[in-house]
Amino acid sequence: MLQRVISPPPSEQPPATLAGVTTQARQAPPAIPVRQRWLEFKQPVSTPSKLLLGIAAWILFLLGWHLAATSGTEANPLFPSPADVSGSLWNLFAERGFHSDVLASLQRILLSFGLAVAVAVPTGVLMGAFPAVEAFFSPLVSAFRYLPAPAFIPLLLMWLGTGDTQKIALLVLGVIWFLITLVCDTVKQTPVDFIETSRTLGGSRRTILWTVVLPSSLPGIVDTCRQMLAVSWTYLVIAEIVAATDGIGAMMMRARRFVHVDDIMAGILIIGALGLLCDLAFRGLHWLMFPYLRRR
Amino acid sequence: MSAALDLQHGGLEVARLGKVFPGRDKPVIAVEDVSFHVEPRQVCMLLGPSGCGKSTILRMIAGLEQPSSGGINLNGNPVVGPHRERGMVFQGYTSFPWLTVRQNVSYGLRINGDAYALREGTVDHYLERVGLSRFADAWPHQLSGGMRQRVALARALATTPQLLLMDEPFGALDAETRWQMQELLLNVIRKERMTVVMVTHDVEEALLLGDQIVFLSSHPGRVRTMLYPPFKGDDAICTREALRTHPDYAPMERQILAMMREEGGH
Ligand SMILES: Nc1ncnc2c1ncn2[C@@H]1O[C@H](COP(=O)(O)OP(=O)(O)OP(=O)(O)O)[C@@H](O)[C@H]1O
Ligand SMILES: [Mg+2]
Repeated sequence: MLQRVISPPPSEQPPATLAGVTTQARQAPPAIPVRQRWLEFKQPVSTPSKLLLGIAAWILFLLGWHLAATSGTEANPLFPSPADVSGSLWNLFAERGFHSDVLASLQRILLSFGLAVAVAVPTGVLMGAFPAVEAFFSPLVSAFRYLPAPAFIPLLLMWLGTGDTQKIALLVLGVIWFLITLVCDTVKQTPVDFIETSRTLGGSRRTILWTVVLPSSLPGIVDTCRQMLAVSWTYLVIAEIVAATDGIGAMMMRARRFVHVDDIMAGILIIGALGLLCDLAFRGLHWLMFPYLRRR
Repeated sequence: MSAALDLQHGGLEVARLGKVFPGRDKPVIAVEDVSFHVEPRQVCMLLGPSGCGKSTILRMIAGLEQPSSGGINLNGNPVVGPHRERGMVFQGYTSFPWLTVRQNVSYGLRINGDAYALREGTVDHYLERVGLSRFADAWPHQLSGGMRQRVALARALATTPQLLLMDEPFGALDAETRWQMQELLLNVIRKERMTVVMVTHDVEEALLLGDQIVFLSSHPGRVRTMLYPPFKGDDAICTREALRTHPDYAPMERQILAMMREEGGH
């Protein structure tokens, strides 16, 4: 305490500290100073720093947007500020029943993705496990993979009308071929030694499929699903822009008619947020399902 | 516990075994006319230069590969495919990463629906045999290489096979761990009274563990000599030091190393 009271004012402190360092250095060999650098290859970043950096990027983005939108002398209706968009977001939910649109979209996503997974995962697993099954399906699947799903919209509209069935069909078509291929590739990575170990322990074909091939490739399959769900959101907007009375995409098309740019941006924001939530949900699922893959 | 092995047809009979692989331009003769016999409760080592067909012979005994000619009999029954009467330990790490150590060891019993063995503590018995009781609930990725091979050994033993097959199980381990594993294996084999066929290219390992050494020459793989190391009958020799100081050890090692050099010199 006393030291601090009689210590010189801040401006005179540097020489004192310097002297302190030199006396210390005489007692023990000086540790080579580790220079902390921001950019270092492969150097892990602590969780708080990571969070801080992520938030900083968002703040910069919102600030840039705000400045760009408010730079003109008068407000431009075609380029609303973040405040305008959040205001319209609030308004959409509070007064215009936007939640029913969001629910309609979510329902389409979950239903179509569930269907796609229910077909693609068993097919992909059998293809990856048995080369004969792969030889059968592969030419068909590879061909369909290169057909853009939106090209089917006119057909689907004629066959299935403008209802939900048509939209769900488009969403399923959009992801199922990639899902099958990626699941098949994951399953093919199952080490031969694992399969042979099970065979020498008396495993039958069915046993090996359920107790070796599936558990060995399940983490990869869940990861594939997470990535393909993001693609599903893309097709959802396409489906809802074409012909829909409800859903997030339909709301955005309605807003376009009245040049409500803030509503359109609010819709984009909601899609982004929901996509992120889906991604997080899958990551959580992955973490819960595969405790043996958790590394600190 | 393995009275079946004492039947008159007991043991492993490998008769005029041959294997031809369809090569890229011409067929590769990997194994040709290999015959040998392993008595029950004996340890047979397959020794020879790299590429002489050791793994191929072992895989045919396991039933993972079909012989092109000849045949294999175990206790009087012909080998036609993989069966849990013939357990196998591979060179690479094959413990299933999604199962704990205990679940790995009990895997064979579970897929065979052997509720009795599961209830009677068979799994704990073999975990203890390989010294992994304390790690029963660990995940394989938390274990060292030697420990993972012990998991694979315990898993192969838990279904009480009549024959244990091992393909360079310690090949991927560092020297120190390999010695420890060899001594542990010697101990397990003695206590469990197993019939074993093991592939190695480590002369010392062959002499320490083997009752019988099948020395193979390469291209094509044939039996060059059979050797019968005298060390295993002597219960005193269960460590590396005891083996190395045995008066018969050095001449025998020299003889095998000379053969190895000849084979390698092709
Ligand atoms: N699946 C296969 N297809 C074609 N050739 C093969 C196959 N497996 C083995 N071979 C050939 O058979 C020969 C014997 O191979 P094998 O793996 O049995 O030798 P090895 O004695 O176990 O050698 P190493 O000590 O290197 O493990 C080699 O020439 C190898 O190239
Ligand atoms: Mg080999």
